Amino acid sequence: MIGTDPLTVLTLTPLFVGFGLLILPQLLPSKNAKSIQKVSRNISFGVALGLFTFATYLSCKNFSGIDWLDISMGDYILTNEPTTLISSIGVSWIVGADALSLPMIWLTALLIPLSMLVEWDAKKGHLFHPLILIMEGALLGVFVALDLFVFYVFWELTLIPMFFLILVWGGDDRKYASMKFFIYTFTASVVMLIGILVMYFSTDGGASAGSLTGHHFDLIAMAAQDTLIETEGLRHMVWLLLLIGFATKMPSVPVHTWLPDAHVQAPTAGSMLLAGVMLKMGAYGFLRIAVSLFPESTVTFIPLLVVLGMASLVYGAWVCMGQTNLKRMVAYSSVSHMGLIFLGIATMQPLGIAGALFMMFAHGLISPLLFAVAGAFKHHYHTLEIGSMRGIAHHSPYLAAHMMLGWMGSLGLPLLAGFVAEVAILIAFWMTFGWLVVLPALTLIITAMYYLSSMQRTIFESNDRHNGILPESLHGEDPTDVTWHENTGMFILGALAILFGILPFIFFDMMSDWSTKFLETILVAALENQGVNP
Amino acid sequence: MIFLTNEEMQLIIPELIMLVGLLGIILIPNFGDAKIRLPLTKIHLPILIGGKRFKPTSNPKLPNRLTLFTLVVAFFFGFADRVATGDVGNALSVDSFSRVFFLIFTAALILSTISAAHRIPARSNVKPPNESDSESLVSRKIDALIDNRRQVDFHIILLMVGLGMSLMAMANHLFMLFVCIELASLSSYILVAFHKESAAGGEAGMKYFIVGSVASAVGIYGMSLLYLWNGDLSFDGLAASWAAADGIDPLAGIGVGLMLVAFGFKVGAAPFHLAAPDAYSGASSPVAGLLATASKAMGFVAMIRILIGITLPVEGEAFWFVTIALISVITMTWGNLAALTSDNPKRILAYSSVAHAGYMLAGLAAIGSGIASIAATKLILIAIIFHLAVLVLFKFGAFLVLSLLETEGRSHRLEDLYGLGKREPLMAGSMFVFMLSLAGVPPLAGFLSKFLMINGIVNASVASGSAGSVSVIGWMGTVNPVFWLAIAIVFNSALSIFYYLRIGLVMFFEAPETDNPLKSATSLRLAITVCALLTVILGITSLGDSVLDIISNAVETFIGN
Repeated sequence: MIGTDPLTVLTLTPLFVGFGLLILPQLLPSKNAKSIQKVSRNISFGVALGLFTFATYLSCKNFSGIDWLDISMGDYILTNEPTTLISSIGVSWIVGADALSLPMIWLTALLIPLSMLVEWDAKKGHLFHPLILIMEGALLGVFVALDLFVFYVFWELTLIPMFFLILVWGGDDRKYASMKFFIYTFTASVVMLIGILVMYFSTDGGASAGSLTGHHFDLIAMAAQDTLIETEGLRHMVWLLLLIGFATKMPSVPVHTWLPDAHVQAPTAGSMLLAGVMLKMGAYGFLRIAVSLFPESTVTFIPLLVVLGMASLVYGAWVCMGQTNLKRMVAYSSVSHMGLIFLGIATMQPLGIAGALFMMFAHGLISPLLFAVAGAFKHHYHTLEIGSMRGIAHHSPYLAAHMMLGWMGSLGLPLLAGFVAEVAILIAFWMTFGWLVVLPALTLIITAMYYLSSMQRTIFESNDRHNGILPESLHGEDPTDVTWHENTGMFILGALAILFGILPFIFFDMMSDWSTKFLETILVAALENQGVNP
Repeated sequence: MIFLTNEEMQLIIPELIMLVGLLGIILIPNFGDAKIRLPLTKIHLPILIGGKRFKPTSNPKLPNRLTLFTLVVAFFFGFADRVATGDVGNALSVDSFSRVFFLIFTAALILSTISAAHRIPARSNVKPPNESDSESLVSRKIDALIDNRRQVDFHIILLMVGLGMSLMAMANHLFMLFVCIELASLSSYILVAFHKESAAGGEAGMKYFIVGSVASAVGIYGMSLLYLWNGDLSFDGLAASWAAADGIDPLAGIGVGLMLVAFGFKVGAAPFHLAAPDAYSGASSPVAGLLATASKAMGFVAMIRILIGITLPVEGEAFWFVTIALISVITMTWGNLAALTSDNPKRILAYSSVAHAGYMLAGLAAIGSGIASIAATKLILIAIIFHLAVLVLFKFGAFLVLSLLETEGRSHRLEDLYGLGKREPLMAGSMFVFMLSLAGVPPLAGFLSKFLMINGIVNASVASGSAGSVSVIGWMGTVNPVFWLAIAIVFNSALSIFYYLRIGLVMFFEAPETDNPLKSATSLRLAITVCALLTVILGITSLGDSVLDIISNAVETFIGN
């Protein structure tokens, strides 16, 4: 049976509680629907908060004072005793964390209670909050699983709560958006599955007893195998299949179109989790599987990565300038930032990869803040149009403050978390590609342009010094400021964005050490093969 | 007993239980207070049969309960004794291979009985219509009375199907095999046409009967050719002569080929599958589910017996390899393409069952290619049987959901499924699980079986590609064509996702035509939930391993023969 090691507990608790809360009320008489909603919400929130405390405790206890340079690749912390799940095809329950997954685990544990807090009064609360709890289990599962089968199962499992979050609690066009979201990501993960299966068939025998097939899904053992796939062409093909799966999730430019639709229609909590953690699954999986196991293919395809990253970065930012819908603009800015992650990986510099890792984390703090702001804007002003409204600062000072902070963080203001990541990536990019760095650097100016102009039009500018223009959707009512729970959620996110902007080394040192080790152990051989001087 | 020794009786306890249950259903509802007067005296002796029936025996729900009880007891006895081995008479031999199939058949029959209780309901308190009743009330009362009347018929035939199938799995003689298949088939023709008052039911039954009997006739002709060739139809005798023969006697080859037509009809392989969609959509869902699971498994027992047990050469390619490989690819592609264009859930499920037959035939073809090692052969057989076993969970599960829908009306339009997610979240969730499992999405049971199948085919064939070639294209040029069967399965699975998801998504996307919850058929709902849970659990926990252990035991017994 599966043991009681901390990461297993962390992953399975929300799943069990979430499914229990979903199913148990169905069996009760439906008289007390109202009280069930409240009980269900409170239990979910309590569990999420408890898990966050637990995750923080785990991080502080196990990860402080570790010299990451001493830890070789393939060593994980907080691992469990591998237990066999399905011996006939070699599936085991193996979990572990390292500097790549730890910030993501902590981020997930942080964002779940915050997203619940922001949508404290969601309709059908007896379904909403348990679904988010299931989402937490699935997301944590993706980040802790070290068995590809389990990884894939959790990867797919994240789709289901998100699909229902969009479908049931989404905006007017939710059917189209949820369908598109489902089809894009599902198709992409099936493509990825084919890649995983080819890898599976290439693993050495000697798998666990009772295996019928003689292969296994164990990621650590795969990494330890000399050459996982003998044929070079097949290796490249598998790498590309994996890339399709991960790039769609990130999303990178040619396959990004599901993201704006999903974001615009999703409820606030859904958007926060989608932008905050789900997009990072793509980058995480790419580093964990594709880059780690096929470094040579990665080096071969660096130009492709640069093109994809650059296209996402520039195109995302360019399209942002034309958006009038707040959520759509933020969604495209996510595409743009995810492009930076690809560029960071493509540099093949420790600094670049560390920057990409920190970008994953920083974007995971700032974009949920942006979506929480957009959700609050929608909630209190009943519109998402940027131009329809001026002078928020007058009507809703708290909302305006959070909006400012979020946008400043997203455009990379120094002393906010996003800045550290951007600078690290740009420096590494310059070190590898020289003056090509001008293009991403100029894009940052575009980013500043669209954020500043939106800011000008929404928060400040006002024809009438005292009233501003109110959107028609309010029907003449006075807008209200954010509620206490929205305020709390946004405040925590904003504070953390500032904290990690001023003291980035909390995670950044760990990340850069890990990246150094990562490149040393995995890429040196590949680079030598390719004739590049590391 | 005169015919059977005690040991033989012990071996076939489950079948005897079914037989006793069958007699019980014939007799028990007839128990009444009839008396006979001894001649020339005034003594009235109760003879129990006839007269006014007692209260418990006149309950129209009795046949269903008796059948369920019989099947469950038989299932448990079969399960407890699943490793028993021995011969019964000359024509039957019990081993774990036949017992595994017995369990598959019985499980499907149990589900069929549970859903029949709600699909063809018996009502205890129906009064005959009065003159004062309104017209609709009269017709409803008459319907209910008819349903009550035919409870016994339906369940007798259901048990006949079970008896025929389980004996068929034990047959070690071709003639016995055929007689048992016919027992099961003729009974299932009646079941398909059971709702003779509906035009679709009658037409479906007729069509199924005609095509089925032609297929059987062809098969019997093939069998007679084999008899002409060998003079002995026992499997051992046939296998020995086949191995001893120098090359393939045309008589024998044609005989086996003709028999494949009969079995191909049973498993629903193209081009013999054409009656299947009509039969499924015309029959009631409990029966359609039976056809899609138990009947298909029956066809595969026969195929495995003939193709692997008798005609598989020790080394080199079997003579049927190319035929079966082609049929498998055509079957799966045809099934999936036809399902894509269909709007009737039952037809979609029928075509999906055709496609699944194609996947399993691809496995058989890979065994016949002559490049599969013993381990790969074993793996593929395990995968086929495991797939047949888990089909009972998710294919029949889907039909159970449809029969729940049929309790309130119809289930032959996609619109009938609209908005099920709103009306019945748990049922819709289960249906979604069934669809994903049929599509083979991890980590459900359907993935595990399909994955083992692909794994077996790849293990058998991948070594034939030259490892040295750098490009993928070059490698693919060198690999044995069997490898392409695996690719065909993968592509077809990808194709099939579209129509499975279509069923899955209309339940959540479209507005329901009515908001009323469905009938509270507790046992049926419980069965659906259990099927859905098992579909998940078998795919992801070690329970799947335990089932695979039982099956691999059975396969070892069979290959050892």
